[in-house]
Amino acid sequence: MADEGRFDRRRDGGRDGGRDRGYDRGYNRGYNNNRKRRYEDDEDNDRAPPRRRRYEEPSLGKLRRMLLEIAETSMKLPEDEAKDIARLLGDTFEEGDLRTKFFDIFVQLLIDQPFKIPFAAAVVFYANDTKPEITTEALKRTTERILEAVNEGDWKEFKLLLRFFACLQNLFEGDGVFTLLHQLFDSAVDLQSANENDVVGLELVKIILLTIPYALVAGGSDYQGQASELLQKTEIVASMKLPLETIVEPYAEDSKEKPFPYHSIIGLLQTQLQNEAGSGWEFGCIPRFSKPVPRHLDGESAPTSHKHPFPAISLPSPVNPGTKPLFPEAFFSLYADQEVETVPPTSNIAASLLRDAIVDTIDQLDFNRIAAAKLLVEVDCYWQTGTFVPRATGYDKLKDIPEGQSTWKPEDMVVDAVFSQIFKLPNPEHKLVYYHSVITEACKIAPAAIAPSLGRAIRFIFKNVDVMDLELSYRFLDWFSHHLSNFEFRWKWTEWTEDLQRPDLHPKKAFISAALEKEIRLSFAKRIRSTVPEDYHPLISAGTEKDRPDFKYDDDQTPFSEEGKKILVQIKKKVPDSEIQETIEAIHTKAAELGIGDVMVPSTDAFVTSICCVGSKSLSHVLFCIERHKERLLSISQTSEAARRQIVSSVVKYWKDQPGVAVYILDKLLNYSILVPMTLAQWAFLDHLGAGEGLADSWVYEILWNTVGKVVRSLRTILTVKLKTDLQPEQRASIDKAFPEERERMRDLFAYIQDSLKPVAEGSADRYLEKSGSGELSDEDAAIIREWGKRWLAVFTRKALVEEAVVGELAVEAKVRLIAAEAETESQVAADGHSATNDEDEQI
Amino acid sequence: MPRQLRNTVERLDKPSSYAASKNRRRKNYRDGDDRDKTPEFEDKLKEATTLYVGNLSFYTTEEQIHELFAKCGEIKRLVMGLDRFQKTPCGFCFVEYYTHQDALDCMKYIGGTKLDERIIRTDLDEGFVEGRQYGRGKSGGQVRDEYRDEYDPGRGGYGRALAEDLGD
Repeated sequence: MADEGRFDRRRDGGRDGGRDRGYDRGYNRGYNNNRKRRYEDDEDNDRAPPRRRRYEEPSLGKLRRMLLEIAETSMKLPEDEAKDIARLLGDTFEEGDLRTKFFDIFVQLLIDQPFKIPFAAAVVFYANDTKPEITTEALKRTTERILEAVNEGDWKEFKLLLRFFACLQNLFEGDGVFTLLHQLFDSAVDLQSANENDVVGLELVKIILLTIPYALVAGGSDYQGQASELLQKTEIVASMKLPLETIVEPYAEDSKEKPFPYHSIIGLLQTQLQNEAGSGWEFGCIPRFSKPVPRHLDGESAPTSHKHPFPAISLPSPVNPGTKPLFPEAFFSLYADQEVETVPPTSNIAASLLRDAIVDTIDQLDFNRIAAAKLLVEVDCYWQTGTFVPRATGYDKLKDIPEGQSTWKPEDMVVDAVFSQIFKLPNPEHKLVYYHSVITEACKIAPAAIAPSLGRAIRFIFKNVDVMDLELSYRFLDWFSHHLSNFEFRWKWTEWTEDLQRPDLHPKKAFISAALEKEIRLSFAKRIRSTVPEDYHPLISAGTEKDRPDFKYDDDQTPFSEEGKKILVQIKKKVPDSEIQETIEAIHTKAAELGIGDVMVPSTDAFVTSICCVGSKSLSHVLFCIERHKERLLSISQTSEAARRQIVSSVVKYWKDQPGVAVYILDKLLNYSILVPMTLAQWAFLDHLGAGEGLADSWVYEILWNTVGKVVRSLRTILTVKLKTDLQPEQRASIDKAFPEERERMRDLFAYIQDSLKPVAEGSADRYLEKSGSGELSDEDAAIIREWGKRWLAVFTRKALVEEAVVGELAVEAKVRLIAAEAETESQVAADGHSATNDEDEQI
Repeated sequence: MPRQLRNTVERLDKPSSYAASKNRRRKNYRDGDDRDKTPEFEDKLKEATTLYVGNLSFYTTEEQIHELFAKCGEIKRLVMGLDRFQKTPCGFCFVEYYTHQDALDCMKYIGGTKLDERIIRTDLDEGFVEGRQYGRGKSGGQVRDEYRDEYDPGRGGYGRALAEDLGD
């Protein structure tokens, strides 16, 4: 961890040189190249004669560059940049297809880079003064895109484009954006009254609340009455707690002291806006632009700015909920409401406004994490001056800041926002690894600013890792190990040395062990051992450093060692299967003599352990070996449940020091249908659980999590096919049969997992009672085990509920209805298509 | 039809200039008639589920690669690049996903990050065919390792051809 801060050449330089080149440098932006690049840039800016093409730069190219880079540099006032763009745009507006192409870029900017919305709006605001046609064109193009978003149910885009309108509030006739906000509220109420768990309506209310501040800043005090009226209406919806809401809580519901209390995003917004109303609707963080100075002072034409009708936008019924299932959202923060105010307190609307814009910036730019990270590091450029302390101000220095000035650290805001997504339940917008990569890039761009914030984040999370939702604590584990692998595995492990004294079962100790194990998977044992203090060495077992695990049958004391060794040789020599069969039968005979109930168990153990051993050289080797013996493995798994579970036990036992390989092999065995998902659950709860100690192994969670994930994905895929409208009758029949069957199978799996966990959580499982009764299990360990049980149960209960919300009967019916409604509108549109186009033309 | 709009920043999930130039070279060898029949390079990559992964250490294992790349989705196949003569890893591999989206996500989120403490490179690939797992350099490894004049302990020290020349 670069916690103490690597020397950062960009610390001060971040605001000037090297920022005027757009984002097209791709990977070369790494800090290793800083020196060279800075030099080049200096040359560009100061010494080298301006390139000839600058004189020839076509208007569109110039406008494009100016617009995309607006507010990026603090060398120039964004307001002046906006005026310059407006002026140039006014001068060239009639050139060829310039306006079409310019607004292609313009609308895309609103969607790609939400920070720049107020600045893009300022361009139009200033242009309107001299050329109202520019505003007309901007509104027309944005409206086209917003209507697409409404039809597709893309509420994120809808929100961003609506914000652009809100920023132009004082250019509209009448109530402007507020009329639409009232309509949105009516739609939300309809949705809410139709379904108590409706989240699309909630999403609409959230959009209303997030739009009001921008509209008020642009529109001024005339609209405060409108805002208050809306707030009164939204209160009931925003303050309601949904039945589904408990599943998105980041900390265990019944934990005594939550590190951060639960707030729903929407409930918080409502309260913050009410607070803001109380203090005169200030919205201090939103950037301000001064009114254009009237140019005709001689009185020839009155300087009244041209007003425009608000675009016609209405929501269809039923409202398209979009392709991604929506859930209630929790507001998560690592820094809010603590002793030192490094981020806005949760009572302040700035907490929500900044968070919302940062999260959107991250999510909208997933196609270029480097550009995303750059915007994040420069977040202070896009808000009103004075919102933050200067970048990279040390935590310890905040106490020296005079009373009345902001102590908000831009890097804390950013780190907080990224973690709010990593810890978003049930799922973030993108794959988790994206958020990992954004943090990595931000650390590369501004290590001295980001790394200390990150260090404090890690400390906070680790401190609470035992009361955190279990799924989230494993997300943290995954991020932590992956992050360190990008930074030479540096972390101040000495901070956690005391936690090594805890019992192995304790979540913090288990976290440390699991983190080392995950690091080793991305690297190798010897390397990781060299990165941790000696106290940690016992956590890395000697077996981990071996090239290949021991083959237990090499030890003559192991039962069936002779046969085990023989099978190993037979598999290696690729003898015909009939010869292997002979050895296996020899085991059966011997086992029967020994009175072993299911003789398949020892023979399966010998066979599968041998396969693991022969395949231990690499994943390809083991895959090849499994494929070669697929038939025998399939027949074993069809013979008896005990033998099936033995396959799992043998794999896990052979790879006990490198569980990552076991996880891989079991996953492949599922793909070959040698194992079914239920077998893995049965193995976990019947063979591995013990009195509940098995729940502390991160890789067991991983096995079950992957298994459930596979079942869920496959069912969702079947549903996608089922919802297609163009299936052949045979396909239709087979899918209509398969879907409910698979869904039942999924439900059975969830039910089995939950039924197995409940007794552990309650402390009523047989093995647990036995062990705790006999004193074999200390009271402390017993309590820890019950906690593991509860946390596991919460994860799989949520997963089951989430899937019901996607593939359950009600959800499927709703989707079918929506598709039918869409088809109807489409045929209508096709019928009215011609006249509709004409109407649009007339408007222009 | 709405126009396909360009994003305001470059996308990281586009094929590299290397992949594009390779295609151009290949096209140039063909005669005109053939060219029309071959599917366009871009079209081929539109559905690509395979990635070429470069700048690996020779010591990086399949397990390590799997651990990292599985973060973008389930891996269908992993083929290690081997020295043509020694049949040992020579610093590249092919990773095949089940879906195109997973491959794109891998370009965006994993390409240019570190594995085994080296910055790795990913590129969309039209798909693995037998034979492509072998290095095409003179001495069996990758061409780039023949004349490299920087010492790289993860990739066999100095370039091999260079080392030979120095030996003479």
